[in-house]
Amino acid sequence: MPAVLTIVTFRDIFQYEAQKKGRYTDDYRNRSTIIFMDKQDLAVLGIKDGARVKVENEVSGVVLIALLSDDDPHPGIAFMTNSPWSNQLVSDDACQAVPEFKRISARVSPTDEPVTEISELLKRMKA
Amino acid sequence: MAVCTGCSLLCEDIELALKSGAIAGLKNICRKGSGHFHALFTERTKPTIDGQEVSLDQAVAEAAKILKEAKSPLLYGWSNSTLEAQKAGIDLARKLGGTIDDTSSFCQGRLMEMVLKGEIPTCTLDDVRNFADVVIFWGADPSNSHPRHLSRFSYYPRGEKRDKGYEEERNSIAIDVRKSDTARLCKYYFKVPPGGDAEFIAAVGDVLDGKVPKYGDKKKMIELGTVLRKAEFGVVFPGLGLVYSLGERMNLFSDLMAKLNGISTYKVVPMVGHYNMRGFNQLMLDETGFINQVSFKDGKISHGPEHSVVAASKSCDAALVIGSDPLSALPFGVAKSLARMPLIAIDPKRSLTTDAARVVIPSAIYGLEAGGSAIRMDGVKVQFEPVTASDLPTDEAILARIKEAI
Repeated sequence: MPAVLTIVTFRDIFQYEAQKKGRYTDDYRNRSTIIFMDKQDLAVLGIKDGARVKVENEVSGVVLIALLSDDDPHPGIAFMTNSPWSNQLVSDDACQAVPEFKRISARVSPTDEPVTEISELLKRMKA
Repeated sequence: MAVCTGCSLLCEDIELALKSGAIAGLKNICRKGSGHFHALFTERTKPTIDGQEVSLDQAVAEAAKILKEAKSPLLYGWSNSTLEAQKAGIDLARKLGGTIDDTSSFCQGRLMEMVLKGEIPTCTLDDVRNFADVVIFWGADPSNSHPRHLSRFSYYPRGEKRDKGYEEERNSIAIDVRKSDTARLCKYYFKVPPGGDAEFIAAVGDVLDGKVPKYGDKKKMIELGTVLRKAEFGVVFPGLGLVYSLGERMNLFSDLMAKLNGISTYKVVPMVGHYNMRGFNQLMLDETGFINQVSFKDGKISHGPEHSVVAASKSCDAALVIGSDPLSALPFGVAKSLARMPLIAIDPKRSLTTDAARVVIPSAIYGLEAGGSAIRMDGVKVQFEPVTASDLPTDEAILARIKEAI
């Protein structure tokens, strides 16, 4: 059973530095494709720290790495850096004055699929 | 000294030494700024049409052709461009009868509008350093977004009336959904759930009125009320966390500021991300009466959410993007719309947007290869000179050439 989580995005200085080196670098991908989850949510999914997860909603889906969050307990809430990967999951519903960049609802489930590459994101945009 | 255009602090004290085309020394720089300066040498763009390298003249001519043939062109980005380029962009949009919008449209726009129109009291960051005794980071994490904010202005430095520094004379408060790096440094941290800021504001209002708050840890909230009440000069730094959480209810925040100013002096300095977003908003306000989301169709000025990049990306038939990477920064649906239309990208660096663009025009990096002026997050105008020579044209030179060709 997938867990339905609210994803909150944040800024990370190390990811910014990696972005400046290049959007297509491994460092940028590695820092953009982590989802920090609560211990309880990892347990619900039956996965360990570092496992791959599919994160999807009605907009799109991406494969990320789930890491145990070092913040206070926050079951039902996950954190990831703001990036083209998080924006894949943001709705552009024109009724909304500002899209929900920081409150994304998504289903999270274990997967064996590889982490989504940025080239794949661009391919989807151009398709 | 060089000016760092890595964020809207526009740090003016950067010591840079270049030797044989490489950075030999870099002082007073944060990690973010260091990444920005080193970007001078990585992933630079070349003039292309449909992925094929062409001359700069050919790329400019093709861009002019696309814009001339478009019925509803969108000109978007601007927050990473100088005031000079932004002015050239507004003139081009006017000439084309097109739509112009910037990143503030889905960022700090609503809050910035209130500041620029005087609906919320504001001050400079130098005032913060000199006078502030309570600083509040609300949905903001400058340790990651504006790394020298705390050390240059808001927390650590001693100022004219704060010579005992943060140890004795400055209280810091973080309000956030997570214990961010900034929250870990602050004396007080209040955790709010995603979207819970409106309830938190109501609880702050309650404690200021001497009522028992209906939200949060009552004892901690009452303590917050005491700190806020005792402040001589409080400053709130709202980030995207607060702006997105409140959405259309930004009046709740301005009402709270009015209440706080009934008790003491409180100011607001929005945590603008891009180095010249505020400049664009001020320029647009002066030129059109609106800070963003403007159409010049049929020679008339109209404003509204239908002219925001989110909506306009669905209705326009060509787009020019400058000083931004919307394919990385905007929702998937908007990125898809932009990627599928005739797209022109003016950018010194490779990005998802340049990779999807029909026409790419390389430009000089401001602060490094080109000079100009910009407005810091607190409204202070900063002038900067290039630190190294470049043959690449500036944004405003490219826009002027496109306008001339049209």
